[in-house]
Amino acid sequence: MANSYVLVCQNADCKARGAVELLNKLTQTLQGAESVEVKPYMCFGACQAGPNIVMYPSKTWYCGVKQPDVEDIAAHAKGGATVERLTHGVDPSLKELIFQLLDAGLF
Amino acid sequence: MILFPEGKPTTRETFEEYRASGGYQAVEKNLDPAAILKIITDSGLRGRGGAGFPAGRKWTVAVETQQTPRYVVCNAGEDEPGSFKDRVLIEHRPHLVLEGIILASHAIGAAQAFVYLNETYHDCRERMTQAIREAEAAGYVGSLKLTIHDAPTVYVAGEDSATLEVLEGKPPMPRQKPPYPATSGLYGKPTVVNNVETLANVAPIVSHGAEWFRSFGNVNNPGTMLFCLGDEMNRPGAYELPLGTPIRRLYEELGGGLKNAARLRALLPGGPSCGFLTGDALDVGLDPDSCKAAGSTLGCGVMRFYPEGTCMVEETLKLSQFFARESCGQCPACRMETNMLTALLERIQQGKGDAGLFDQCQKVLDFNRGKGYCALINMPGPPVMSAIHLFRSDFDHHLTHGTCPSRSS
Repeated sequence: MANSYVLVCQNADCKARGAVELLNKLTQTLQGAESVEVKPYMCFGACQAGPNIVMYPSKTWYCGVKQPDVEDIAAHAKGGATVERLTHGVDPSLKELIFQLLDAGLF
Repeated sequence: MILFPEGKPTTRETFEEYRASGGYQAVEKNLDPAAILKIITDSGLRGRGGAGFPAGRKWTVAVETQQTPRYVVCNAGEDEPGSFKDRVLIEHRPHLVLEGIILASHAIGAAQAFVYLNETYHDCRERMTQAIREAEAAGYVGSLKLTIHDAPTVYVAGEDSATLEVLEGKPPMPRQKPPYPATSGLYGKPTVVNNVETLANVAPIVSHGAEWFRSFGNVNNPGTMLFCLGDEMNRPGAYELPLGTPIRRLYEELGGGLKNAARLRALLPGGPSCGFLTGDALDVGLDPDSCKAAGSTLGCGVMRFYPEGTCMVEETLKLSQFFARESCGQCPACRMETNMLTALLERIQQGKGDAGLFDQCQKVLDFNRGKGYCALINMPGPPVMSAIHLFRSDFDHHLTHGTCPSRSS
């Protein structure tokens, strides 16, 4: 049972910007990482800012993620530092809504 | 009645039969455009496609937009689940619809009109093609160019601005509004997009006058409307009734009640985007104001009745899945809302979560309200939230047991 999740948006816009490759690479990179699970997510609603990745339960929202960012995000998932450069650009009220949905178990 | 003499479709009317019953007399009156516009405005005819916008006002906006050419689109891109009124109108009374198109085109000064027709309605296409040929040969069409155009069978393809995209050869995606089609429609020109049933009312109104039309229905909602009953009823079909008629008449007298003498538990009076009513709402009037006062909407007149024993969680989930599937995907907020709502309902259905999921449904709707290009983003909310409110015990049962109330006791 995972203690933390790396949720990678897989809706149309994020996919068009490489979210499938991000999901695959994160899954590969974090293979064997204890208590971490990489999962696809239907949509976070911030399509213009994608690809979007949300870390849960730490509630860190990464947007505009690219392939070279994967190592840093994986390091964060394993207990490292937050990747600050990817945390800006998403409406705070949307973040709050999504985090509430995640708290309600929607993932 | 106005659209069908017997209040329901019976015979497939020919050109000769239409003329013998007074057809094309409205065109033969040879009224000037302003006179037609005044009659339609005075009649109080509202659009029958679901939004209920006054037809005369829409035409006036197009006329007052100082650009040409202008266009008329007869919207038969019918793809609302359970709706078949456009199809039966064109199949049974193609000339009634066509005369309305000719009059509307004359009223707004349109040089070209389109019949935007569900691509699977082959019989309608044949009927309308023949009607156009007959009307042209008889000299009723004049210089108006009439074209039948295929409408893709996706829900949003019937949205008025999406019809324009399709007519311009593009995918069926709604446009951001304003500007509205009446000011900037097909190729950026003033375009009146009217539902088939709206246009079918035009010739009788022009023939008999606005006061005659207002003798049907009630003050705020003059005229009649076609209501579609589905297979759950003893006598499914399309029925024409004066607006304001109690639902009971449609349900009991015309529809014959539910099959197997089942008791009525719930109803959706206006298609998948309206709020549910409980089975004791049969005295509500069939008009937009009465339905609104009761907590729902009349929409385009697709009536759906649910018998006792229906699990309202399952039905609500189906409606939510429909909107998630039919969202065209161009507006992130709509895509997110319809997917989230469906996921929340699936969790409730499967008993995975707690009562906080109900609040999340409302929050998702509140967050996205009014954000999309078209009305689809506002559609999933009423059925979902009304069902949670009216049939809470079904939802609580699913949350606790993960099954329908009728399957576990």
